[in-house]
Amino acid sequence: GIPIRTTLDNSTTVQYAGLLHQLTMKARSTVRDIDPQNDLTFLRIRSKKHEIMIAPDKEYLLIVIQNPCE
Amino acid sequence: KSCQTGKISTTETAVQSYTSQDASVQTDQSKDAVQDFQQEVQVDYSSLLAFLRKVEDAVIKELNKNWKSRAFDGFEVNWTDQNETVLCLHTLSYPEAQDQNLQVTSVSWNATGSVVACSYGRLDGGDWSTEKSYVCTWNLDRRGLNPQRPDLVVDVPSSVMCLAFHPSQPSLIAGGLFSGELVVWDTSRTEDPVIWRTGLTDDTHSDPVYQVNWLPDAKHRNHARLLSVSTDGKILVWREARDGRLALAEGFAMMAQQIPRSTQLKKFAWGEAAVGVTSLSFSHFDPRMFIVGVEGGYSLKCSTAAETLALQRTGSSVPLRAPAELAFSPHGGPVYSVSCSPFHRQVLNLFLSCGTDGQVHLHSILQTQPLVSLQLSKKYLFCVRWSPVRPLVFAAASGEGNCNKCFCFTGDVHLFDFEKSSQKPALSIKQAVGECPVYCVEFNIKQTQLLAAGDATGTVKVWQLSSDFTEQGPREMIHLEQLASEITD
Repeated sequence: GIPIRTTLDNSTTVQYAGLLHQLTMKARSTVRDIDPQNDLTFLRIRSKKHEIMIAPDKEYLLIVIQNPCE
Repeated sequence: KSCQTGKISTTETAVQSYTSQDASVQTDQSKDAVQDFQQEVQVDYSSLLAFLRKVEDAVIKELNKNWKSRAFDGFEVNWTDQNETVLCLHTLSYPEAQDQNLQVTSVSWNATGSVVACSYGRLDGGDWSTEKSYVCTWNLDRRGLNPQRPDLVVDVPSSVMCLAFHPSQPSLIAGGLFSGELVVWDTSRTEDPVIWRTGLTDDTHSDPVYQVNWLPDAKHRNHARLLSVSTDGKILVWREARDGRLALAEGFAMMAQQIPRSTQLKKFAWGEAAVGVTSLSFSHFDPRMFIVGVEGGYSLKCSTAAETLALQRTGSSVPLRAPAELAFSPHGGPVYSVSCSPFHRQVLNLFLSCGTDGQVHLHSILQTQPLVSLQLSKKYLFCVRWSPVRPLVFAAASGEGNCNKCFCFTGDVHLFDFEKSSQKPALSIKQAVGECPVYCVEFNIKQTQLLAAGDATGTVKVWQLSSDFTEQGPREMIHLEQLASEITD
């Protein structure tokens, strides 16, 4: 994916964009393989340090990284 | 409560370019500067806007749900096998050096984390020593590792007091000698491994070199510079010159009357003496700032950008400057080791110092009084190092000292974890039975469960730490910040 707008630095953005685009495609194909009538609407990845949320679309991808304060 | 979010919008086109646009999107203040990039792809802004409007509600809803959610409280996943115990993986020694009663003065891991080197010398020799000493390396990843036979042994005509492997070239190692010289060896050369040396010139230190560091050279990316620290009060930066010589590039001299003293500290009668520097640590976030520990018990904040000239009498080829900017509250004895925390954020500048009073002080560079003052043991502390992976953990090496009116020599490696206790060590590893102070410890940055410790019997032990010392907890940085913001009276 090619970054259009970001609030992070350049290199981190490019890294996130590339890796998460691939992951989103994989997640989407997983959902459709299980049920061809279904499709991916939202993807969330929870890690030790933060949560990554991805809203996918035909042409665009919105990625938000949140630090949930407990 | 507040959340930190970052937003990225991406398109799925196969062109390598970067465009910045000003759509009306709800984001927090964007902190990065607007960058000029060549526009090779046309973004359809109206469809982008439609997309963002469509997903905006869903994403905001999820964000709000998240910071109110308690679903994951206390939820932890173990990806690796939990290692409960601390093991001694290797006990390395060089019998010839041990026969000469030499001690391990310094250990260093190389850039790849697979080779550990140690230097043999004497830390308790008071006179000019002309004993031969050795630098030995072992490659721990090799099969057929013989702990009594180092892969490489370098004979050195004078006692080696400190070692440092190059941070990116795995075969280069620098050492500081008792005679005040610096030597750089290339361990991949089978013939003469010496590639650079300072020799004994007017510029060389007149006292033993107690610490040597590699500095990245801003101008020439392939060449690093060497920094050496000695009790003659000088901190010198060397660059590579012709014929395998190291020439002085710049230098600093610590003179007693040029050390700034804040009114909160007791006034000392410094006199005109040079202040012997025993240790140094660079800040990880400001490359010009460094902390030094001196024999007088003070830790000092210094800067390489200092401009005032030092008032010292002996001539040197490059004018020496006085770098000290702030003096911190002193220890009750000489400081032997300082270490700056590799974990930093905007206001978090912490460093540790330890010395012969058996105390470790945790300082913030913003104030002279220590944040935490730990009486770790009654023995001298020779070395303190922050853990490279856990912001709240550090290791300290202890040795000789007076306990219960008898002079005891048993050495320990103390591992301290602020998460568990702020009073006493989480773990104290006995290096060996009998008399052997531990003089140096180093964490392995690449294989973070390994810790090397060198002691007075001439043995280097490589310890494998348990998982609780190597895995960062989810809120450690927050704890560290809380620790740093507590102000002591």
